[in-house]
Amino acid sequence: MSQALTLQNMLSPVQPTWCPGCGNFSILTALKQALIELDLPMEEVTLVFGIGCSGNTADFIKGHALHALHGRGLANAVGIKLANHRQKVIMIGGDGDIYGEGLNHLVAACRGNHDITTLVFNNHRYSLTTGQTSPTSNKGTLSKSTPQGLIEDPIGALSIAVSNGAGFVARAYAGKLKQMVEIVKAGITYEGFSLIDVQQPCPTFNKEQDYAWYQQNVVDLPADYDASSQGQALMELLKVDRLSLGVIYQSPTRQAYHTEVMHLASQSLIEQFPTQIDLSEAVTEFI
Amino acid sequence: MLESSYKRMQERSAINWKISAKAGEGVMSCAKLFAKACKRQGLSVFNYYEYPSLIKGGLQSGQVHAALHKAHCQRRHLDLLIVFHEKFIKDHLQEIDHNSLILVNANAYDPSKYPELQARVIAVNLTKIARDQGANPLATNVAALGFCAALLEMDLQIMGRVVIEEFAKNKEAAKLNLLVLKAAFDAASKLIAEGQAPFLGKLLNSGLDEQLLLSGNEAIGLGALAAGIQFYSAYPMTPATGVLHFLAEQQKHYPIVVKHAEDEIAAINHALGAAFAGVRAMTGSSGGGFALMVESLSFAGVAEIPLVVLEGVRQGPATGLPTWTSQGDLNFVLGAGHGDFLRVILTPGDMSEHFTLAKLAVELAEKYQLPVIIMSDKFMLESQQSMPRFDMTNQNKRLSMVNDGQLGDNDLVEGEYLRYKVTEDGISPRAIPGQSKAWQLTNSYEHDQYGFATEEAFETKRAVDKRAAKLNSLIQELPKPIYEGSVAPKRILLSFGSTINITRDLLLDEELAAETALIHLPCVYPFPSVELENLLADKQAEIFVLEGDSTGQLAALIKRETNLSKLKSILRYDGRPFYSEDLSEFLRGKKLHEQYRLVE
Repeated sequence: MSQALTLQNMLSPVQPTWCPGCGNFSILTALKQALIELDLPMEEVTLVFGIGCSGNTADFIKGHALHALHGRGLANAVGIKLANHRQKVIMIGGDGDIYGEGLNHLVAACRGNHDITTLVFNNHRYSLTTGQTSPTSNKGTLSKSTPQGLIEDPIGALSIAVSNGAGFVARAYAGKLKQMVEIVKAGITYEGFSLIDVQQPCPTFNKEQDYAWYQQNVVDLPADYDASSQGQALMELLKVDRLSLGVIYQSPTRQAYHTEVMHLASQSLIEQFPTQIDLSEAVTEFI
Repeated sequence: MLESSYKRMQERSAINWKISAKAGEGVMSCAKLFAKACKRQGLSVFNYYEYPSLIKGGLQSGQVHAALHKAHCQRRHLDLLIVFHEKFIKDHLQEIDHNSLILVNANAYDPSKYPELQARVIAVNLTKIARDQGANPLATNVAALGFCAALLEMDLQIMGRVVIEEFAKNKEAAKLNLLVLKAAFDAASKLIAEGQAPFLGKLLNSGLDEQLLLSGNEAIGLGALAAGIQFYSAYPMTPATGVLHFLAEQQKHYPIVVKHAEDEIAAINHALGAAFAGVRAMTGSSGGGFALMVESLSFAGVAEIPLVVLEGVRQGPATGLPTWTSQGDLNFVLGAGHGDFLRVILTPGDMSEHFTLAKLAVELAEKYQLPVIIMSDKFMLESQQSMPRFDMTNQNKRLSMVNDGQLGDNDLVEGEYLRYKVTEDGISPRAIPGQSKAWQLTNSYEHDQYGFATEEAFETKRAVDKRAAKLNSLIQELPKPIYEGSVAPKRILLSFGSTINITRDLLLDEELAAETALIHLPCVYPFPSVELENLLADKQAEIFVLEGDSTGQLAALIKRETNLSKLKSILRYDGRPFYSEDLSEFLRGKKLHEQYRLVE
């Protein structure tokens, strides 16, 4: 029987191992809340996890899940969606995983507009490996791997997504739970690639960007913001004085990859397993 | 001019034919069509290509060995060589002798340029024949076909049909090429009648056109299709690209999704994702691409995700010789991936085996939930070989899966399912997304029976042991070493993968076959230690290990896995396949050809 998602049946016997005050707690809560509010059957959700503090969420929620390699989860998610496009596929990873190690897969997932919802737990650090800089760290950041200060500029990951075909790009903040739930719900509902960058403090390894810093630097998108404009989205993302929160871009026209794949019009691929297969067509050219 | 002692015959049961031209001049299609016409005449066929890694220019050749019986591989000695440019004659001097005929695409041929040449040479402007029919110079290759058809008195009807099928998408081109074929055939017939061109003997027609003619890439694709593969993702890389092309084309007939991925890491991870979601999935590349995949291979190992990987070896290291063959990735494939995990490495030999082992690979991967690597090489993946037809209808059933892989409800009791349940044979029934009450975490971390990550000592050892326990039943299903030839041989030629095609050719020589045997290993891991030791237990033979690498990787593996120690190696590592002629000379007491290395 189909079982709807509830907090109870998503409850894992494993206790979270995150630091007190970590933004991950509220992001996990937002994800669970979004799933509950969407009233999805539990077997229709597949979670894919990267490696890092965020990826460790794999142990803290129960369902169908794949705990992938560092950086490669999105590539797995693409395969999962093609094999069974009825699944709501949700990718969870950190800024190092998705914007660093796996950036090529992010760009490819955007270009294909694969129907995957990606939550990037963005704390601007490699925290599980004790706080080195990440692709989203600010220039000048001091860390164990950059004792003289980081020389690079931070990556414009959301701009990359918007300009490379992602149909849905949003930014949330771990300190604003209600808004985060709405954004996650919208991302999961959107048929196409949804990138949700969740800004979160790391109280252990990122002392510069703590809750107080975020209070100063996040701002909601104005009510009259037009998310359907790619140009406006890019302009918004170029603003360096603030982190705008909300749905920054949602394409009114982009098709999800699987909708254009032969065979996937109705049944999922796995439902078409060939219990009997006749190779006559395939050998024609060899006769 | 040297008097040619050209041997005349009325009928011939075999032909060694080669076409040599610049890349872009239609060499491959010409050889393919000639090979197909030979196959349609009921002959056994092998078609070997050599080409440089570029699109235009450079020397390219297609070489067809067709015979009434058992054309296992290419031969060095050519009966008929066609060169589109006279200068290419010098590239083939080792392959021709007084029994060879060279057809040069030119108005005239100046014998003074090649004083040592013993072969008979005729110059015919094939391009002009094509042009005279209103075709463009590209149809020179079809003119060559028509000309050869007359020299060998081949069935022009068959050849014509083969040409029409090749141009099936363009009726106008088909008609034009047919005209060119006929005109060249007529021109050759006239020259033969006038004594200006030799009749090479009628190439026999067995009347039994029952074989398939295909490449290793295609045979692997077919085998995988037969086994119900539904997902293939890859990044193009010679020589494995053919599988990508073949399966992509098959999407219109079969429920398979083919994804050209952004890189090889994505390719293997797409396949892993699809396999995790429940479809039979595969990826493929050559050594360089496979190198990018190996972290993910290790993932398949620990997470127990069924996966088939084709490693089509070409000469390395690094970019190496992109379009030339090698077996030098053996050690790499044996050890690819960090950590200890069980894998299967299949090494198909002939075309039939490429088909059957690809099918087996897909089934083993799903049943045992592990990575299965098919290791082949440029030599077989891009050569064509005829093989017997097989049963076109295949039945497939899901293996080691909860509820036979059906989505939705099942008989599980909520809360009881364990993805990595410890069982006697190490196989845990696999649940997939879309199945209810089968919640599970497929994990790249070491994990407990549910799938949660663990670093606990007891859980870790139990998980490692559980996966390793599959070995006992797995080895029962692996293909055994193949032994052919003398039962009391003086020498045994031991090889893996493609080399059996050469050793089999060698054993067609009755004199050698009387005292020689071959052993072929279609699976090198888990290594068939007992089987190989048993095969050699009562033999007093000298054992030569033949392999396409410079360090004797197979010999070292055999020494590691068996009690065998007295092994000699014949190594070739210049990008070229073995030639039976070279081995034959060596076994008859001559010095081994300098392009090989003998290790005693």
